[in-house]
Amino acid sequence: MKKNRLMIITFLLPCVISVVVMFLYPTIRTIVMSFFRIEDIADEVSTWSFYGFDNYQKIFGSSTWRVSMLNMGRIWLFGGIITLSLSLLFAVILTSGIRFKKFFRAAIYLPNVISAVAMATMWIQYIYNQDYGMLNKILETVGLDGVKWLGTDTKFWALLLAFVFGAIGYYMLIFLSGIERIPQDLFEAATIDGANKVKQFTKITLPLLRGIIKTNLTFWTVHTITFFVWSKMFSPIDTEATTIVPVVYLYDTAFGGKNTAVRDAGAGAAVGVVLAVLVLIIYFIMNKVIKDDELEF
Amino acid sequence: MKKRIISAFLISAMTVAAVAGCGSSGDSDKGGDGKYSGVTLNYWSMWNSSEPQGQVIQEAADAFSEETGATINIEWKGRDINTLLSSALSSEEAIDIFEDSYMNIAKNYKDYCYDLTEMAEEAGYADKSFGCFNDKVVEWAGFLCAITEQPQVGGVWYNKDIFEDCGITEVPTTWTEFMDVCEKITAKGYQPLALDGTYADFTFGYHMDRVIGQDVIKDLAMNGGWSENEGVIEAADDIIEFVGNGYLAEGAPDEYPASQNKMGTEQNVAMVVCANYVTSEVKNNTGADLNWGLFNYPEVEGGVDPSNAYAGANSLGIASYSENPQAAFDFVMFLTTGEYDQKMADTAIQIPADPSNTEPETLSGSIETLKATTSPLDWNMGMNDNSDLKANFKDTIIKLYEGKFNTGAEFAAAMDALY
Repeated sequence: MKKNRLMIITFLLPCVISVVVMFLYPTIRTIVMSFFRIEDIADEVSTWSFYGFDNYQKIFGSSTWRVSMLNMGRIWLFGGIITLSLSLLFAVILTSGIRFKKFFRAAIYLPNVISAVAMATMWIQYIYNQDYGMLNKILETVGLDGVKWLGTDTKFWALLLAFVFGAIGYYMLIFLSGIERIPQDLFEAATIDGANKVKQFTKITLPLLRGIIKTNLTFWTVHTITFFVWSKMFSPIDTEATTIVPVVYLYDTAFGGKNTAVRDAGAGAAVGVVLAVLVLIIYFIMNKVIKDDELEF
Repeated sequence: MKKRIISAFLISAMTVAAVAGCGSSGDSDKGGDGKYSGVTLNYWSMWNSSEPQGQVIQEAADAFSEETGATINIEWKGRDINTLLSSALSSEEAIDIFEDSYMNIAKNYKDYCYDLTEMAEEAGYADKSFGCFNDKVVEWAGFLCAITEQPQVGGVWYNKDIFEDCGITEVPTTWTEFMDVCEKITAKGYQPLALDGTYADFTFGYHMDRVIGQDVIKDLAMNGGWSENEGVIEAADDIIEFVGNGYLAEGAPDEYPASQNKMGTEQNVAMVVCANYVTSEVKNNTGADLNWGLFNYPEVEGGVDPSNAYAGANSLGIASYSENPQAAFDFVMFLTTGEYDQKMADTAIQIPADPSNTEPETLSGSIETLKATTSPLDWNMGMNDNSDLKANFKDTIIKLYEGKFNTGAEFAAAMDALY
């Protein structure tokens, strides 16, 4: 028994140390930092001055922060509805016995293999460009005027569309694995009982995918909250309000943007804490709303 | 058996690739019995080794090693070096020389910087550099902590051939003259001004500076009150008229770098307001060798600042804990003056840090402009002082150039609404 305990400790220790050093310590430090006035992220603790909730007050009072939260909310809601609906639709189609399933699966997943930087560049330069972009060329072909896709009114939606295009394949694969897990005899029995495909989807597939839907919603939430590269690519050189998201706001606050030496690591930490709390809240709400332990198959 | 051999081969290939991948640094070690034999300098660069700037730095390091026997390890950190430097310097990582903007060095890293005043005096640095940068560094940090490496100057960059074709022999010095020039350019079938959204605040910042001056802009940026300032309304009205006259290039304000690229691709756009790197960006992006010229942003009649220009610089600092500050300083001087400074200017198409060198033809006039600059303007002319709202300022100003405001007062009210 003693030997066993020693072995358990020996095996667990590296993991525990790693979690404490790489996860717990930064988390606690960030929470503590959010209550102090700290200019530089590397400032000595002795130079920190207690600030109470002023960092939180500062960010909640900032119109840029509010815009960034609004942008993130719109990405989560509208992007989430489009991405998860389309990825579920594609997953259902691909598991319905269509021909060239492997090809379509690979084709839809392909954007995930390409770096986000390359993808964003492609969208900006070759699809949205006013003069030679694909969308305006199509409009010109049918006799319509070109649109300024990356103007202040439309840039956010252009960004969202490009991001959703790349994200669908990832969520589709998760849905695919969930659907393929459902025993085929359930569908066969339903077919014999006279249920059509729509009925089978709503009465069998969807209820048995609850766990997967919850997983995908959690991933989508984390994906949205850590949304960074696409925002940076759509506002090159310096941050723009149309595409700013909280993580970019955090980055600019903590490190300063282009040609600005103003930094506020304390406020940056407060942004990080708020985002972490947001993830937890959404996670708990989803756990309450979507129960996946009622059905066994 | 065959599988094992293939596996063994693949594992060794992976190991070699992994080891090779780890070596992102450039190492100059020519040995010799020079002045600094046995000295190792660690240099953190904001460039990548494949960029022209990186290649010249590597060449200079090799030559310095050959000459003095010093070993120079260059770590290519890229543009996000500012996210790494303060923690690296505060934990006294092995860094002797580091690169960043002169403002960041003087404002954010000054506590970790070596005071270069004495060494600079001994080396006669004042005669080999632009005074405006040194003065700013001393004003911000209290001592000389940064050596200028790549100066920048802002203004109106124009295609001389288009000006010539339009019969414009004198560059405009006032806003009225500038509008006349735009009219002539338009009449001849050209488009006057390229503008990418990313530089909209820089361009409008210049115009506001001419009317109300940078100090007032800083105050407004921090405290609001744009609507109560007649100068802001006047400046915005000027831009509304400018846009209304159709003086922006087609599609402007465009997505960076689409609009400025039109100067090279279509060669029918005459001007752009930016810093000097726009010339090399246009060349790199489009391959066009334009006949560039530079003039200062025109004075606005009745305004408070007729002539100050934006100037900035990438600079080099030496860590306060460096064990070889003199060797580091000597290498910095080796790189930023004389032969290698000229090479940097020619290869990367930029302004030399040493005014006795010559600027590339595309940047003609920039050395004179920098020499004449005593009080350089900041990037975005003080609006960046409010780091929290600057992204919102930018969007509101882009909207101004998009023609979304009917009057200057509407624009000023939109700026105030951000607070």
